[in-house]
Amino acid sequence: MVLDNLGSSLRGSLDKLSGKSRVSEDDVEEIVKEIQRSLLQADVDVSLVMDLSSSIKERALEEEPPGGTTARDHVLSIVYEELVGLVGESTEIPLENQTILLAGLQGSGKTTTSAKMAWWFSKKGLRPAVIQTDTFRPGAYDQAKEMCSRAEVDFYGDPDNEDPVDIARKGLEETADADIHIVDTAGRHALEDDLIDEIEEIESVVDPDRNLLVLDAAIGQGAKDQAQQFDESIGIDGVVITKLDGTAKGGGALTAVNETDSSIAFLGSGETVQDVERFEPNGFISRLLGMGDLKQLTERV
Amino acid sequence: KAKSFARGEIVIEEQDVEDPLWELEMALLESDVEMSVAQEMLDGIRNDLVGATRKFSAETGDVVEDALRDSLLSVISVGQFDFDQRVAEADKPLVIIFTGVNGVGKTTSIAKLSRYFEERGYSSVMANGDTYRAGANQQIREHADALDTKLIAHEQGGDPAAVIYDAVEYADAHDIDIVLGDTAGRLHTSEGLMDQLEKIGRVVDPDMTIFVDEAVAGQDAVQRAKEFDEAAEIDGSILTKADADSKGGAAISISHVTGKPILFLGTGQGYDDIEQFDPERMVERLLGDEEEEE
Ligand SMILES: Nc1nc2c(ncn2[C@@H]2O[C@H](COP(=O)(O)OP(=O)(O)OP(=O)(O)O)[C@@H](O)[C@H]2O)c(=O)[nH]1
Ligand SMILES: Nc1nc2c(ncn2[C@@H]2O[C@H](COP(=O)(O)OP(=O)(O)OP(=O)(O)O)[C@@H](O)[C@H]2O)c(=O)[nH]1
Ligand SMILES: [Mg+2]
Ligand SMILES: [Mg+2]
Repeated sequence: MVLDNLGSSLRGSLDKLSGKSRVSEDDVEEIVKEIQRSLLQADVDVSLVMDLSSSIKERALEEEPPGGTTARDHVLSIVYEELVGLVGESTEIPLENQTILLAGLQGSGKTTTSAKMAWWFSKKGLRPAVIQTDTFRPGAYDQAKEMCSRAEVDFYGDPDNEDPVDIARKGLEETADADIHIVDTAGRHALEDDLIDEIEEIESVVDPDRNLLVLDAAIGQGAKDQAQQFDESIGIDGVVITKLDGTAKGGGALTAVNETDSSIAFLGSGETVQDVERFEPNGFISRLLGMGDLKQLTERV
Repeated sequence: KAKSFARGEIVIEEQDVEDPLWELEMALLESDVEMSVAQEMLDGIRNDLVGATRKFSAETGDVVEDALRDSLLSVISVGQFDFDQRVAEADKPLVIIFTGVNGVGKTTSIAKLSRYFEERGYSSVMANGDTYRAGANQQIREHADALDTKLIAHEQGGDPAAVIYDAVEYADAHDIDIVLGDTAGRLHTSEGLMDQLEKIGRVVDPDMTIFVDEAVAGQDAVQRAKEFDEAAEIDGSILTKADADSKGGAAISISHVTGKPILFLGTGQGYDDIEQFDPERMVERLLGDEEEEE
């Protein structure tokens, strides 16, 4: 509810501008404050929020609104452009043979996401296989296997093998017929040096076309350090945001994208294998700011 | 004003505290304290300090930070009780239900607590109220086997309340001290599943309900803590993944909105990686960086 209120307070301060054609410094100041609030409440990194808001402020004061646009729409379109500029388009996922490695914190949703992505590829007419390399978490093998059978996709795992690197290697051989290889890994965080070494090894054996970082939509300011560490050790090509069916805004993903210089690939919004979609900037940004369709407005401007 | 000046004191004005308060607000946000919670705390500090006096020798910034430290400590110490004592004094079996959103560490925390209780001389039985998630039965079964703890589980798709109810009957019949009831992870937006939690509460009538959340959680912690507390009133919380280097401001958000204590911190994936929560240490952790910078 708090979040909705903030969205509406942002709308409120923008509405005050709706009749005006020129923005005063005070007006801009007020709006920028509201935008800061919305972004901070969405879990975007604090220093990133400050950077974003100062460039929004600068542009709002410097740029002339195009003829016929109200000051409100002008400011709003700047906000939208800045955020689109940062988050970009969806990570490119060609519909062709490839290997994708999933990495991320404990419980972020990697195993669920690997089955979801496999389902998504199979709907596109490709043949995916999921390889489960998590030998640590109890029940990880059974979980991945069951999710893959729900998704009706191939699965490789070996509950008797304790070496994730070896499982990865064998898994790729055993599933050589598949077009798409999705390699699930055990959960780990930036401070677990031995586990970070382990994923580097898995990565070098698997040699993926894409490494995706799976982030819980509710992750807080820690997103920055985590993303930075994963990027440094394996290189991050895209982010998956999970659990968007809750109320968290997923601002951590914006931080991660900024930190890894990547983009967002998929969104997860439920526990079943069908609850997955490709990223789309407009919906995500509107959710971040707690506002409606901003793209439409920007196009009008 | 003149009188306090003569005593070597200065009256603190609104404008003196604005900058330090703003800095502290940013520090709290960087530590993942929820915004409205942070603002409420800072408003309290502003009200207390403006018009009060400070010594010449003290910087306003330090006065404000001390006030924040006190305020954080009072929020985070809310309702603290002696967990071991409460367990010792409770009628057995003591039934504890664990709730929380997906993937935060409920099942792992149950395994850790089973070990914790065993070390203190109590027997326990686990009940797998997660009849939903893929691999949930196998996961908790492996923990139970590793810890040599009895597990009651039903088929996937079964009624969670019935599983926990069976475990309570089992504990009654076998003189087991503690029932650890797991539940499936669920987001607070899922009405059906939140109703199911209420039902578990009704059918089982647990002695304690523990809300589990993670130290890496951001602003949303407030929302979910509130909604879980409403669906099945909680007695306290466990904050997991405290080893993952987030400041853990979620502890502030959760204790503030629920008024219930944080009981334990999860500090790793091993069975011994659980500690009793220490409010003072958490405050140091939250304010830690500012200290180093000075
Ligand atoms: N509501 C919801 N739950 C999700 C979503 N994605 C994953 N989950 C749930 O989140 C929990 C953790 O998901 P997993 O896929 O096991 O996460 P993981 O990253 O593989 O976990 P580890 O292997 O332990 O690190 C499970 O309860 C999943 O059902 C989502 O988009 N929405
Ligand atoms: N680093 C770290 N990992 C933890 C901690 N507690 C749990 N985990 C890991 O987090 C992941 C999820 O833990 P679970 O116990 O399955 O979480 P859950 O809340 O039962 O998940 P669902 O039943 O799917 O909702 C697992 O990989 C655990 O090993 C902790 O304190 N620190
Ligand atoms: Mg997993
Ligand atoms: Mg569980």
